[in-house]
Amino acid sequence: MNFIKNLMQNLVRGPSTVSYPFGPAWTPDKFRGRVAFKLASCTGCRACEQVCAPGAIRFDKTPEGLRFMMWHNSCVFCGLCEHYCPTDAIQQTTDWHLAHAVEDEFTMAIREVIAYVNCSACGAKTLSSAPNPVGVNPPFSAEEIEQQRNLCPGCRKKALAERGATS
Amino acid sequence: MIESLYTPLAMLIFPGGLFALALGLSLKGLDRRLAARLQGRVGPPLAQPFYDLVKLAKKRTMVPDTACQPVFLGAPLIGAVAMALAAALVPIAGFYTPDPLLGDLLVLLYLLTVPAVVLMIAGSASGSPFGAIGFSREMAMMLAYEGPLVLVVAAVAMRTGLGQGGLVSFSLPEIIAYQQTHGAFLFDPLLWPALAAFLAFYPANLGIIPFDIPEAETEVLEGPLLEYSGPALGLFKIMSALKAVVVLGLGVALFYPIAPDGIAGLAVHLVKLIALMLIGVSVVRVSCGRLRIDQAFRFFLKWPLALAVLSLACVALA
Amino acid sequence: MTSLKQMFSTQTRRMASLSPWIYRINAGSCNGCDVECATTALIPRYDVERLGCQYCGSPRHADIVLITGPLTARVKDSVLRVYDEVPEPKVTVAVGVCPISGGIFRDSYAVLAPLSKYLPVDVNIPGCAPRPQAIIEGIAQAIAIWRERL
Repeated sequence: MNFIKNLMQNLVRGPSTVSYPFGPAWTPDKFRGRVAFKLASCTGCRACEQVCAPGAIRFDKTPEGLRFMMWHNSCVFCGLCEHYCPTDAIQQTTDWHLAHAVEDEFTMAIREVIAYVNCSACGAKTLSSAPNPVGVNPPFSAEEIEQQRNLCPGCRKKALAERGATS
Repeated sequence: MIESLYTPLAMLIFPGGLFALALGLSLKGLDRRLAARLQGRVGPPLAQPFYDLVKLAKKRTMVPDTACQPVFLGAPLIGAVAMALAAALVPIAGFYTPDPLLGDLLVLLYLLTVPAVVLMIAGSASGSPFGAIGFSREMAMMLAYEGPLVLVVAAVAMRTGLGQGGLVSFSLPEIIAYQQTHGAFLFDPLLWPALAAFLAFYPANLGIIPFDIPEAETEVLEGPLLEYSGPALGLFKIMSALKAVVVLGLGVALFYPIAPDGIAGLAVHLVKLIALMLIGVSVVRVSCGRLRIDQAFRFFLKWPLALAVLSLACVALA
Repeated sequence: MTSLKQMFSTQTRRMASLSPWIYRINAGSCNGCDVECATTALIPRYDVERLGCQYCGSPRHADIVLITGPLTARVKDSVLRVYDEVPEPKVTVAVGVCPISGGIFRDSYAVLAPLSKYLPVDVNIPGCAPRPQAIIEGIAQAIAIWRERL
């Protein structure tokens, strides 16, 4: 007769339905939702492309620079890209409002270009990506990142050696 | 008190036809809402069955290549019309008495088998294997619950007949008149077994959960209704809404028709129908799982039949 | 007279749009999305019946078709056949990333995704699997499209 008790409890306590879609919905703090990309922090290491299981993240070379592409309709929200990103340039937000009409299918994507610049030291054509901070001691300051951004790989090494970093 | 309405009017507008349809759909809406509340959900709007019907009227009817088209499309129509007629045969105590020329309790019993027969015909005419399974299950269910139903009705008829000095009385107005002078059969211990058997008959006839085996959507994909779409399916919905009104009204007339005269009688009747729907249908529906067809068959041939026979014997011997 | 007729048609359309019945086709799904679809109906927290929805057993009763899974080569013909059984007007919803792009199964020889190569899809609900609220959101969008088609 336990079920009668349950039924009566349900009746007295009232429905436990959340009001969504007519009201707000609760989202857990650690929910793995839509991926956000921060161009300023990307080092262009392409680790995220390597680990992306469904191949939602792609990099390709364009005349303007290295293009980062990410399609939400392929993403399985596993969080590997966020885990492996050395600079937290890729982060998962708690946004899950991804349902869309099929016309918007290909606008559900991130397209960002890490542009080519000329190295401020030697003038060679190079990507203006953020420096990789792994093992850099003491860590980069904000100004240093901005300086390194405009250096080619060779000049970055030189600058790091002058800085006395252990990498 | 309306003694005798013009018969087609009774069939088409009140108490059959439109009135019974609106009543039946409202009862279904209430039932769905209460079932949802018992499960801790909000549930659909109260007018949901009306919306469903409008939606179905706007959809396209598809007839499968394997179906026999006239039978396939005619079956739901026959069912709906039969139930509209049956609704005109059920008296409302103190408010409406059906024309004796229209028929008595026996005619009502025959009409009550029409929905099941129509579902069987529909299932077999659709040419779908699931329809055929639904057909055989519907037939088994009908064989199982019709026996107890007839015995219950016979027990009530005999109680009335013996009380009046005759043998049996198959006239619903007489049964109601007898109860209004001698007290409702609900409080008559001789008929309690019959009442229990009648309560078991409800879910089987209305096709709801412990006995919705012929139309089990998770097993046989709604069985006989599988191939129906659009207005034809809507006619089946109309039929089942009318059937709910008829069967519930029959229960009220057989066991507790005590009501004041005039418009208050109608109001009391509605309250009784709603109470019976909620207790006899909604609560049962959410608190049970579906039985297998053999279990249901055995159940009906065991308990309701035994109870009905017991009641009939008590009435005959008392 | 014409305005009365117009009012009648808008009213019936409004009423009909409150009763979208849902049919679910599994096109080779891993069952993750199917479970999430089931929760929208079965768990009191996400009661999809508030929208008038009802999961029905037969494709002939359906108005909104939810398709899960990456459309495996084996199941393609059956899916297309069942899809054709759904009477017009209907709205198709692709649930999960598999039918939209193939997800992690993309480029497999056994998988024919994207689904939109074979069927007219109307709403996408990406996610692996989408959470029940996201499915309800997608169903709400599908209802809005369906209302236009009635």
